[in-house]
Amino acid sequence: MKLRTIAANTFGIFLRDKLLIIFGALFVCVILMMMSPLLAVRARTTASNLEGMQSYVLGLVSAIMYMVSGAGSLLAAWAAADAVATEMKSGTILAVMARPVQRWEFLLGKYLGVLMLMACYVVMMFGLSYLLAWMGGQRVLAASWMLLAYPMVRYAIYAAIAMAVATLLHPVLSWVFTLLLGVLATLVVPSEEPIANTALRWLSAGLYYLLPSTQFLSEDRFLNIKQATLRQTGWTEHFLTLTYGVDYALVVLLLAMWSFHYRSLKRD
Amino acid sequence: MTAPALEFHNVTKTYRRWLGGQQVAALSQVSFSVAEGEVCAFLGPNGAGKTTSISILMGFLYADWGRIRVLGFEPGSVHAKKRIGFVPENFAFYKHLNAEKLLRFHAKLAGVAVERRSALIRDLIAKVGLSGYDKLKIGRYSRGMVQRLGIAQSLLGDPELLILDEPTSGLDPSGRKEVRDLILSLKAAGKTIFLSSHLLSEVEQICDQAVIIDRGRVVRAGTMNTLLVTGDQVEIIANTLPEDLEAVLREWGATIERNARGVRIVTPGGRTREVVERLWLAGSDVLRLNPVKSSLEDLYMKLVGKSEAA
Repeated sequence: MKLRTIAANTFGIFLRDKLLIIFGALFVCVILMMMSPLLAVRARTTASNLEGMQSYVLGLVSAIMYMVSGAGSLLAAWAAADAVATEMKSGTILAVMARPVQRWEFLLGKYLGVLMLMACYVVMMFGLSYLLAWMGGQRVLAASWMLLAYPMVRYAIYAAIAMAVATLLHPVLSWVFTLLLGVLATLVVPSEEPIANTALRWLSAGLYYLLPSTQFLSEDRFLNIKQATLRQTGWTEHFLTLTYGVDYALVVLLLAMWSFHYRSLKRD
Repeated sequence: MTAPALEFHNVTKTYRRWLGGQQVAALSQVSFSVAEGEVCAFLGPNGAGKTTSISILMGFLYADWGRIRVLGFEPGSVHAKKRIGFVPENFAFYKHLNAEKLLRFHAKLAGVAVERRSALIRDLIAKVGLSGYDKLKIGRYSRGMVQRLGIAQSLLGDPELLILDEPTSGLDPSGRKEVRDLILSLKAAGKTIFLSSHLLSEVEQICDQAVIIDRGRVVRAGTMNTLLVTGDQVEIIANTLPEDLEAVLREWGATIERNARGVRIVTPGGRTREVVERLWLAGSDVLRLNPVKSSLEDLYMKLVGKSEAA
């Protein structure tokens, strides 16, 4: 009950957040601007240029979805970093924590509020992918649940990291730190060409296992529109990948709770 | 003997900056206790450590040293918080909510039963004089209205202990009187109240005891009666005072005021017996004899006035 109350209130705060509203408005503008060439291409497609146009459309759809997905990571990290910081800054946390609420309950409630926001974003992203595919005259071949579950778990990881770091640092620093961590995680993915320097190779391998492997959780693996590139994945792999993601988010969230437990609660 | 509602024993708190920076001693071996059903004032100048102490009581901050018990529990314990109502200094609320929604939010967190919520919220809004404003967003409230709302939320869940940090700040005189009356009614209902305030005359009227803190140390604590009795002066009311005796008493350092009902003599405590005997021998009747009480303001200024001025 307490968790639900705090989560719903957090979600309500996000919906009234001016920065978030501006972010959403700008984002919609960019998407609309990117959609117009898609419509133009569709109008100019003939039997003779079909293959080339299809390839162009797929590239465009892929670019839009890549941007939307990346913006989701930014949003998850920002919302999580800001969720607790806003309460500290305004002092509202004091009235809430004077209630019979444990510190971990408060943090978990805030986290669930962030996940509610991200769930809305994922649903919007899902709708957008179908809309783009339809506009491009294509069909989404991936299962719906994949397109919902994978980004959700990925955002849950980013949100947990940002929330954990925000219990120690300023929310902006926490946000930047989370994004840098995300970039670093993609840089240390083992490539076909091994790193020559032993120390660097070990460091890279260490970071690879320590940092979240969000590339496994990328819906790019499944969100293909052409049958030829659709990757066939078994249930075991889905289960293991998603479990890995949820587990990673939970461990980081536990760290956040531990850190928050010892934090002084006062108006910043 | 029942355990005190609040207990601070040798509590020490130092604020430290990260990376070995400066340290500020906020509380040094602070000890006091508040019995159940008492109204205790917590007084001191700005920066004395009042808000730090209250934050420690509520479990917002951790003490470095010392023993703290709130209703028999560790500070911050959910069991204790279920029985506490708290009004923080400079109350802050979710501005997008209205009074009714905010109280509903707090009622849910406080575990108030669903069927009781609506009636309770309505009663509390009326009690703090916000009827008619309950649908207005809190962002549009005046400071006094926010403060009233803060008091309303502290009363959700029928708390046994109220911790009020400057509850009348921002209120106009009539609002202050209403809060004072509310505190008195809570006192009559047997609630324990821990009240931090700068309004000494109000505190004097309401409180049973006071703890005065300055620069992180308790400089005086006790019941109002013991705190305010100076012990060095006695007030004697007599029906008459012969003029020759008046001259003698003035030589002894007494101050004398004549009025329609008699004579008020304030004499140093050491000469009380002699003064009374001389009055009787002169044929005067002693109508009343009381130790002279100082006001809380006098005591406060004596104890912390200098440091506040500095």
